[in-house]
Amino acid sequence: MLINFKGAKTYIGTGGKNLDNSKTTICFIHGAGQNHLSFIQQSRFFANKGYSVIVPDMPGHGLSEGKPCKSIKEIAKWVYDLLKTLDVNNIIILGHSQGCLVALELNRLYPSFLNGVIFVAGSNEIPVNQFLLDLSLSDEQKASNMMVTWGHGIDGDMSINNWPGHSHYGEGNNVMKMNKPKSLNCDLNACNNYKDGIDAAKSINIPALAVLAKNDQMTPLKSGQKFVELIKKCETHVLDCGHFLQTERPKVLNSLILSYLLKL
Amino acid sequence: MGENYKFDTLSLHAGHIPDKETGSRAVPIYQTTSYVFKNTQEAASLYNMEVGGHLYTRISNPTVAALEQRLAALEGGASAVACSSGMAAMHLVVSTICSSGDHIVASSKMYGANINLLQHTMPRFGINTDFVNPNDPDAIEKAIRPNTKMVFGEVIGNPGLDIMDVPAISEICKRKNVPLVLDATFNTPYLMQPFKYGANIVIHSLTKWLGGHGIAIGGAVVNGGNFDWGDKEKFPTISGPHFALNGISFWEEFGPSALIAKIRAEGMYNFGPSLSPTNAFYLMQGIETLPLRMKKHIENTHEMLDFLQNHEEVAWVKHPDLETHPDYKIAKRILPKGSGSIIVFGIKGGREAGQVFIESVQLASHLANVGDAKTLLIHPGSTTHSHLSSEAMKEGGLTDDMIRLSVGLEDINDIKKDFEKGFRAVKKLGARC
Repeated sequence: MLINFKGAKTYIGTGGKNLDNSKTTICFIHGAGQNHLSFIQQSRFFANKGYSVIVPDMPGHGLSEGKPCKSIKEIAKWVYDLLKTLDVNNIIILGHSQGCLVALELNRLYPSFLNGVIFVAGSNEIPVNQFLLDLSLSDEQKASNMMVTWGHGIDGDMSINNWPGHSHYGEGNNVMKMNKPKSLNCDLNACNNYKDGIDAAKSINIPALAVLAKNDQMTPLKSGQKFVELIKKCETHVLDCGHFLQTERPKVLNSLILSYLLKL
Repeated sequence: MGENYKFDTLSLHAGHIPDKETGSRAVPIYQTTSYVFKNTQEAASLYNMEVGGHLYTRISNPTVAALEQRLAALEGGASAVACSSGMAAMHLVVSTICSSGDHIVASSKMYGANINLLQHTMPRFGINTDFVNPNDPDAIEKAIRPNTKMVFGEVIGNPGLDIMDVPAISEICKRKNVPLVLDATFNTPYLMQPFKYGANIVIHSLTKWLGGHGIAIGGAVVNGGNFDWGDKEKFPTISGPHFALNGISFWEEFGPSALIAKIRAEGMYNFGPSLSPTNAFYLMQGIETLPLRMKKHIENTHEMLDFLQNHEEVAWVKHPDLETHPDYKIAKRILPKGSGSIIVFGIKGGREAGQVFIESVQLASHLANVGDAKTLLIHPGSTTHSHLSSEAMKEGGLTDDMIRLSVGLEDINDIKKDFEKGFRAVKKLGARC
């Protein structure tokens, strides 16, 4: 659905169902250079499993207008304000990649706001190399293509997909093209500059779920494993795939998330 | 990981990795109509399009999906759907995007069945087409109306071999917010990948060079994922509410792959032009050698061009790689590896001489197909394009003496010898007259 939020047309995926604030809400936060289409195989799945689903396109991403946020803190505040505006209750946040930093910061800034937190391909920090930062300014398309390629495991290389006929690379590149110019650079800088991850991870007092990827070249497994050790109570799983677990291993991921939600 | 494999490698591997259970190196043929659901929840998820998977072979099948994913990878597209023939692919695109009252701008120089579908069949359903010269971008732009839902053409026209100026026409389409749909059968992704030049949707007759063996009919729609379907008034079938699935917008739910998701949910579901898994397997066997075959096709084509141009019994020869072809410069630009392996030529003596020639050769087969590994011949005026009016024939560049040659992979000297046999018969005919 499209709403007017903070003066800009803002798109919120709902998994094809109407929002229902009497239900538990899962809010999916996309990664750098991504949008709501990162969660094609999660949003409809959970919306049809009795949850209210919110998948916002951040400003300047996907079908949302507005200027991209410049820091993780700014994105976290934007998400908080959005969820307040939508008046949702019993909130579970699921972040992918950069979305994990947003989830961490949201919980750090508003400690009693969330009921659960799920980290997919997450870490407490996502340093970005200078080459990619520069490339995202000089040739955004090339930077996007490189991220899509690095972001997938063998399924990307071999065009293996559980969704018949779909190509991870072809689809991934075009999802990133939907975003406004320079949004990728904003996102990558926001990731690179976020330094409060350790404190934020340590401050999590709710049960967390982390699903990491063995062949993740964007947020390497080692970094994710160090991160989950900082969290008091975190159920952790490692899947045999690349950074985009949502599209590479959607069924296993959905089943892990569902099982976590049922335990809350 | 992150390998970005090249075309030749993708031709062999894309869409399949060895099966973990059985170790099967080849793509298994899943010759099944349906799939056992693990539970009612899984069944509901598949019907609701919540996650990917297979529920009935009319909609999708694992072997067919391997072919679709290979094609998407080879074209650099977002997604693909394979179907029972190239014409089924064409119909899927038109019927998914257009509704009664809509309009199409199409090339006037195309395969007879493509023209027939747009000129005679679709108007009965309220979808009308204006045919324009594909080499005239201005005419294409002028023909686009507010209700135009696509511009359609063939990269290499059949049988006239006109080359569409894809970059120029895609710019017009972009400006007018109309998708550019191209039949890329004659070029295959080996010779040219239309998405790189701004096209939005590609259709293929897989029966031709992609299969290459002449044993299986098949087609495919490959979606570039590079068209914004967001205008709900203009593209209500893609971005407006769907008749099922709680009225979702395919554009909002599936983004770059909205077209293929819609084709599967409506076209494959309601019309059912599915490809058999065994034929999908055969077609993939062909694609494995596509790069090797296309190189040889082009090599033999260039040899045949020299041979025919210098033959005293030949009145004229047409191929876009010849400087005499009006689209030579465009072909050089967008088809640098070669402009396909179809040659059209006329034999001195007109239609009768052509018939004698076709009936006198031994190696080249007289049949209604192109792109086979074997050399093929036909007289389009009396066969593939015989349903066209004389005006449409003229517009399409079809002459009475035209012979369409699909150059195969035989030893080039054997093809030449075979043709000499045909020319000798023509000469005898001339002597009798």
